[in-house]
Amino acid sequence: MQATKPRAVLCEAPPGKGESELSTKVKSKALQEFQEATQMLVNPALQRWKDQGGRVIGCYCSYVPEEVITAAGFVPFRMRGTGSTGTDMADTCVSSINCSFIRHSLDLGLRGEYSFLDGVVWVNSCDHVRRIYDHWKRKIDTPYLRLISLPKKVDEPQVEWFREEVSLFRESMKDHFGIFVSDERLWKAIKLHNETRRLQRQLYELRKRKNPPITGAETLAVMVAGTAMPREEYNKLLKELVDELSQSSAGHSDHRARIMLIGGILDDPAYIEVIESQGGLVVTDSMCFGTRIMWKDIDEKEKDPVTALARYYIADRPSCARMFGDQPRRSAFIKDMICEFNVDGVIAERLVMCDNWTGEQFMTGEDLKEAGIPYIRLDRDYINVGAGQLRTRVQAFLEMMGR
Amino acid sequence: MTTKKLRQYKYDPDTFNRYRQERDYFNFLSGILATMPDSMSQLSKEITDITVERYDQIVRCAEEGKPFVAGYFCAAPEIYEAMGLPWYMIMATPFLAASAPYLTEDIDAAEAMGLGTDWCTACRLSLYYIEAGLTPKPWALIGLIHPCDAGNMLHQAVARNKKWRDVPIFASDPPYFEDQRGIDYYAGELRRMVAFLEEHTGAKLDLDRLREVCRETNKQYEILSEYTQLRRAHPCPHGWGVGGPQAFAATQVFQTGRPRGTRWLQQLYADAEERVKNKTGPVPKERIRYFWFDLLPFGWVFELMPWLEQEWGAVLVMEMFGLQPYTPIDLRNEETIFKGLAKRNLYDSPMIRQARGPADYFASDIARVVKDYDIDLVIWPGHMGHKDGSASTGIMREICQELKVPYIHIGLDLFDKRYTTPEECKDKLSKFFSAMGLG
Ligand code: SF4
Ligand code: SF4
Repeated sequence: MQATKPRAVLCEAPPGKGESELSTKVKSKALQEFQEATQMLVNPALQRWKDQGGRVIGCYCSYVPEEVITAAGFVPFRMRGTGSTGTDMADTCVSSINCSFIRHSLDLGLRGEYSFLDGVVWVNSCDHVRRIYDHWKRKIDTPYLRLISLPKKVDEPQVEWFREEVSLFRESMKDHFGIFVSDERLWKAIKLHNETRRLQRQLYELRKRKNPPITGAETLAVMVAGTAMPREEYNKLLKELVDELSQSSAGHSDHRARIMLIGGILDDPAYIEVIESQGGLVVTDSMCFGTRIMWKDIDEKEKDPVTALARYYIADRPSCARMFGDQPRRSAFIKDMICEFNVDGVIAERLVMCDNWTGEQFMTGEDLKEAGIPYIRLDRDYINVGAGQLRTRVQAFLEMMGR
Repeated sequence: MTTKKLRQYKYDPDTFNRYRQERDYFNFLSGILATMPDSMSQLSKEITDITVERYDQIVRCAEEGKPFVAGYFCAAPEIYEAMGLPWYMIMATPFLAASAPYLTEDIDAAEAMGLGTDWCTACRLSLYYIEAGLTPKPWALIGLIHPCDAGNMLHQAVARNKKWRDVPIFASDPPYFEDQRGIDYYAGELRRMVAFLEEHTGAKLDLDRLREVCRETNKQYEILSEYTQLRRAHPCPHGWGVGGPQAFAATQVFQTGRPRGTRWLQQLYADAEERVKNKTGPVPKERIRYFWFDLLPFGWVFELMPWLEQEWGAVLVMEMFGLQPYTPIDLRNEETIFKGLAKRNLYDSPMIRQARGPADYFASDIARVVKDYDIDLVIWPGHMGHKDGSASTGIMREICQELKVPYIHIGLDLFDKRYTTPEECKDKLSKFFSAMGLG
């Protein structure tokens, strides 16, 4: 680990110059609502939706083409283990070498906490998640279950394969729910989801400021809420938040370093709060509940909406560690983020037992070492933040960076 | 064969020492086996000699600047054979070099590289060997991005490794479910693999030669299938020492589509047949017939498997690599051959078959083996790399309960005996056998 200033190494001109010193945080009602939504599975907006007879479909990974679900008139809900206190029931199905996210989320499923779902959709994201599909099928009574076969490469034959998968998914929704997702409905959903992505990127733009008006923990809450609320309502609230923050001159000036966070499923703002309590302000990321789901839009100029979806998920969006052949692009994405957001150091987190992120952390570490960027790898448990140890590691990291 | 425009690596005599050491280790094993006249040792000796020959061939290619590739048993070795491309597996040490003396030292070196402790040891070792320049650098690398995340990440890390960054790499993308659409797609991936190999090695694929290779493999799998039937006998004619793993090495690694491999399988069959006639098994009295549902613990195989036989009269009747569901390849035309290869490599090949797709195979393979082979006990070793398998443990336990056969999940590292030591394994197994009234 080195105390090199990354900008000096990677970027031509440091951004954020000339901005004024900001010192106070914005208090926002919209933000509060988002924060509440991360603390529970069924947030008030989702409950209202259910009360009105709305349907909700669980999605086990950010590669599930949620737009198809929205187009059917349902709410896509990203699966979490929020509120879980143990894994006793899941442990009869899986083992201690499986990641704690899948153990907690399966446990909730086995306990009936996911009975509000009308269906669950998987892709074969990783060895752990895909097995939850097998157990769910055998043990949990959710009316509609589907696993979409997600390629592990990002080339044209894979776009074509996924196009067919999305078509089959659309057909299965019709067979099961009797709702035909027409091209017109699909385009409407794509536009709606792109709108979410645009608003989220606007929020991230504000974090480029010298004193960002929103913390990393707060941003994570905004992102998580986006996977758990009816889409129109979320977009409306998010727009309010972005407007409030844009107009405000308040910001966080009391940090020691600007941090980029990278990793897989992290949906608990408390983890980032610990990092930030030590003075490491998280200003950007490459995460599943972060830039990877919104940095690119689905191409609205494409002729066929199913092809547009396939191309977006396979080839265009910043890829997940599991996508073979795309590591150089992922690494370049991280380096671009470092420059754009004026990042001082990178923290990579992973859940213990996760091979995808072990490999990715190792490769990213090698790349950042070559580029002279301070970098640290942290292991964590899905539910227990492990605040004591995390604090110590972050402190040591900041000190090593000379902060 | 044209080598125009092809890149060749400058031979460095100080590289791939581990690979040479491994060859010497196999040579040493062969020497020991030569002193044992019994038929099983002689069967093992022939496989060991075949192994040494491949190592020698790769070493010669590297020294003489001739093309060779790295590939996998489940990535259509029939094609490398038909193209005349010598090949080896970058995971050869963990898979083949049973109990090689330097294994523990190398695992520690891999950890020191920053590869952690919970990433499959086979993958960590392979990456370490590349980083440390201990393994031969091929002209082209066929990677594997299934059945597990560990392997996918290994090949991504190999692709970005500074020393191998100039080695072209290709990996076929695996569809998740088993159906005709999946077969068609994977056949397309195999065709793209052929184009890749042609481009980077200068070798060409001749359809008639491929047909000939596949014809011979069909024969090999037929004999293997008959051999596995013989293992249903009481007592089982062979134990852990000879059978599935060697047959796998012959059919899918060293003698794919070669008559010498076919002859070896015939000898294996003849030996088993003789034993069935004479009611001879690997132990004087067979007391437990078990199904070992994984690779053997190659890192420390001699410290556990003989003990099971000697102490408990426990005979390994079937294991994952000897399980034989192979569908013959339809040789009519190019299309049928490629589809046959797709099916064989994706849906039949051991470990790939069970681990790549849905968990149903874990249940159906257990059900089939328990019934067909009159199994008393199913052992799921629970290798630390097999995250998907261990995530299926509840499904395996339930099917065993339905079949009324005991099931034990150990939790070990097939390559690193310090993870769960042989003594701890023995203790766990002994207690389980006693509790279940086995043996
Ligand atoms: S953290 Fe890793 S192991 Fe766990 S679900 Fe995500 S990718 Fe899979
Ligand atoms: S986890 Fe298993 S399938 Fe994967 S590389 Fe290791 S030994 Fe092979």
